[in-house]
Amino acid sequence: MGRYFVKRILETIPLMLIISIFVFMFIHLLPGDPAKQLAGVEATYEEVEAIREEFGLNKPLLVQYFDYMKGLLTGHMGRSLKSNLDVGQLIWDRFQFTIKLVFAGVLWAPALGIFIGVMCAIKRGKPFDIVGMLIAITGLSAPGFWVGLMLVQILAVSLGWLPSGGLESWKGIIMPSIVMGQGIMAVLARYSRSSMLETLREDYVRTARAKGQKESIVMFRHAFKNSLIQIVTILGLQIGGLLSGSVITETIFSIPGMGRLLVDSIAFRDYPAIQGLLMIFALQYVLINLVVDLLYGVINPKIRYD
Amino acid sequence: MKKFLSLLLAGALALSLVACGGEKQQTNQGSTGKSPDNDLVVALQADATNLDPHVGGNGNTNQVVNEMYEALVAFDENTKIIPALAKSYTVSEDGMSYTFVLEEGVKFHDGEPFNAEAVKAVYERGKANPSLSLSRQIGTKEKPNWEDVIVDSEYQVTIKLVKPNNTFINKLTQVRMVSPKAMAREDAEDYLAKNSAGTGPYVLSERVDGAYTKMVRNENYWREGPKVDSLKFVVVPEDASRIAMLKTGEADFITPVPVTDVKQFDGSSDVKVVDSVATIFRYCTLNQDYTLADGRKPFADKRVRQAMNYAFDSEAFANVVFFGYGVEPTSVYSEALSYHHAMTPYKKDLEKAKSLMKEAGFESGFPVEIVVDNTTIEQRGAEFLKQQLSEINIDVKLMPNESTANAEITSAPREETKVQMWYVNWSSGSYDADGAMRSILHSEKFPPAGYNTSFWKNEEFDKLLDDALLMSDTTEIEKAYARAQEIAWEECPWIFLGSDCNVYAQKTYLDGVVKFPGGTVGFRTASLDHE
Repeated sequence: MGRYFVKRILETIPLMLIISIFVFMFIHLLPGDPAKQLAGVEATYEEVEAIREEFGLNKPLLVQYFDYMKGLLTGHMGRSLKSNLDVGQLIWDRFQFTIKLVFAGVLWAPALGIFIGVMCAIKRGKPFDIVGMLIAITGLSAPGFWVGLMLVQILAVSLGWLPSGGLESWKGIIMPSIVMGQGIMAVLARYSRSSMLETLREDYVRTARAKGQKESIVMFRHAFKNSLIQIVTILGLQIGGLLSGSVITETIFSIPGMGRLLVDSIAFRDYPAIQGLLMIFALQYVLINLVVDLLYGVINPKIRYD
Repeated sequence: MKKFLSLLLAGALALSLVACGGEKQQTNQGSTGKSPDNDLVVALQADATNLDPHVGGNGNTNQVVNEMYEALVAFDENTKIIPALAKSYTVSEDGMSYTFVLEEGVKFHDGEPFNAEAVKAVYERGKANPSLSLSRQIGTKEKPNWEDVIVDSEYQVTIKLVKPNNTFINKLTQVRMVSPKAMAREDAEDYLAKNSAGTGPYVLSERVDGAYTKMVRNENYWREGPKVDSLKFVVVPEDASRIAMLKTGEADFITPVPVTDVKQFDGSSDVKVVDSVATIFRYCTLNQDYTLADGRKPFADKRVRQAMNYAFDSEAFANVVFFGYGVEPTSVYSEALSYHHAMTPYKKDLEKAKSLMKEAGFESGFPVEIVVDNTTIEQRGAEFLKQQLSEINIDVKLMPNESTANAEITSAPREETKVQMWYVNWSSGSYDADGAMRSILHSEKFPPAGYNTSFWKNEEFDKLLDDALLMSDTTEIEKAYARAQEIAWEECPWIFLGSDCNVYAQKTYLDGVVKFPGGTVGFRTASLDHE
């Protein structure tokens, strides 16, 4: 497994390189001019040119790319064109908000989702199944911004129990946690139900039952454990998505996370910030997939890493 | 869509035109609500981009920075120049040098004294860093505006200009004074992004980028200062969340309030909605080079341009698109700006519009595309315009795009531009007439040098603007700008749409807030009626 791990880590290097080229290309393909944004509309042509010169935006694209990569390899992601802050620091500051939100969502949603899914599978066709799937479908189909705004209206404005935004007190995390988690809960409920149903049809489950195993052992040791592979895959993808920030949750609850930073940076054509963020998001996905792959081995020792 | 708009129009007729400058308390007059504390919280839509007052940024940057930094002179809420760090000033006969007598005993937040040397140090910083927004005032090495800054005595300083410029004093309101010690630091830009070193009524205490900026009262402030203990600007991008914060009392003041949401405060007894005339002027450019398939150029004909103005109902526009929070245009820029010259509005007159179109040979109209930002309010305005112009057979197609992309599309030079009409707005940050017109109407400002995407050229107009800039006699300046506005108004290089109102909402227990036409708000004399 050690060799496999090293191999996978080494594989990410060319992958990140390719991603960096794509990211750089696409950003510069966008119409729009950061120098103009920076100078403001009232600036003269000369002032815009001075800014373009100052930030090296008038250099050929290839030169700009190599400058950027040189910086990246020496640990510098450049300075944000918009705020003039160090991009690495900027992303780190925002990451701390995003990670809080991810934890807030992941803390309850997967557990509840899997519980609902597994129980629905066990009680297939019974009232529990119907109610459980109703919850899952609601969680999937209720748009996050709507749920968020409703929560604010009810819990903050009408009842005054929670702050309407910000993360300055622990109470502030409750509503964002619901919005962040609802989707994961719903997806996992659906997936774990179908995954569990599939496993329950397997021969080894019938064998276990035939052996006279207790139903709870059949369900959890034989069926559930084997359906975990699918569940972990989905969970990994979901967390990867959350880690790149949730613009909607961050916007409604006024939380300066990475999602909002990305949207603001794109609107401004803040090239260094967009590049930095997209590279980080790509890296996060790569790492999460690695963790998921490693977890497969833990869940099912029959899986070998060669 | 037509039916929908005519329904809206019918509804609009029932409303009377609401001009800006009102104050509306929501029910329960004389509510006795009190603030639970003496800490003022203001919710803004976006964050300041940088706290270094010389780096520049958007309106929110000015909003935050202006509470910590001051300039030699300032604007009052009627855009008149008033003294700030300079007690008084005199202008030389030739309009080339301005001498300022400074307030004495003023200290920067870091304890450094404010004096003539400090003014000079700001000038030196701007000269050494052309990428700072200071260059917009003092000029660049190639094109300087200021010749020099001379320290006459500890509390008297003279600024010499390269040539006379009537906008100088307006622009000086944006040259904020910063402690020379802070500017001399090697890490000045990083330091000033996290610390305040001004003379303003509030001192920076904490900032979380993208979340909030907190300041405390400057206890050593040199004149009457705030009565609140602290001032906190919170970034709340979502309109509904900002409104919720005001309702719950988490915020005491919110800006902006979208005109579509004003009615949400009906029934909130301790909230009042306040509005004022904005410096933002809305218009639609008409590219005079636009050529139809048959080779004719409709916008090159003044009669067509005038017909489009007669076909457009600006009163209904203010009511339908801006729910009454708009002002009918009477000139080519907002009445909140200097030297505004009000003329007879182009009242909707369909008969006249049709006969002008017929005279020009465009009775059956023509198709045209309009570039517009893809935000709801902009597109709604452009839809309205489309409906109005359809009445004189002009078939408008909307080309919505994100604003940053539009900025590039509209910057294309004359030979390459694809812009036929552009639904846009403009305002002058320094509230001056030159800033309100030059970049968008002067013939030297065809893109990419400026935003005159009508490619309108009128030599008399250009000359009036150029001459006025060098004048120092206000009567003469007024005459020149009035004539310039008359020319543009008659020539119709645009469809004149109207000016905006700034709309804010606040708790009734908050007092002493000054609203500036540019959309920023001053909290220097703010007080909270608290428990």
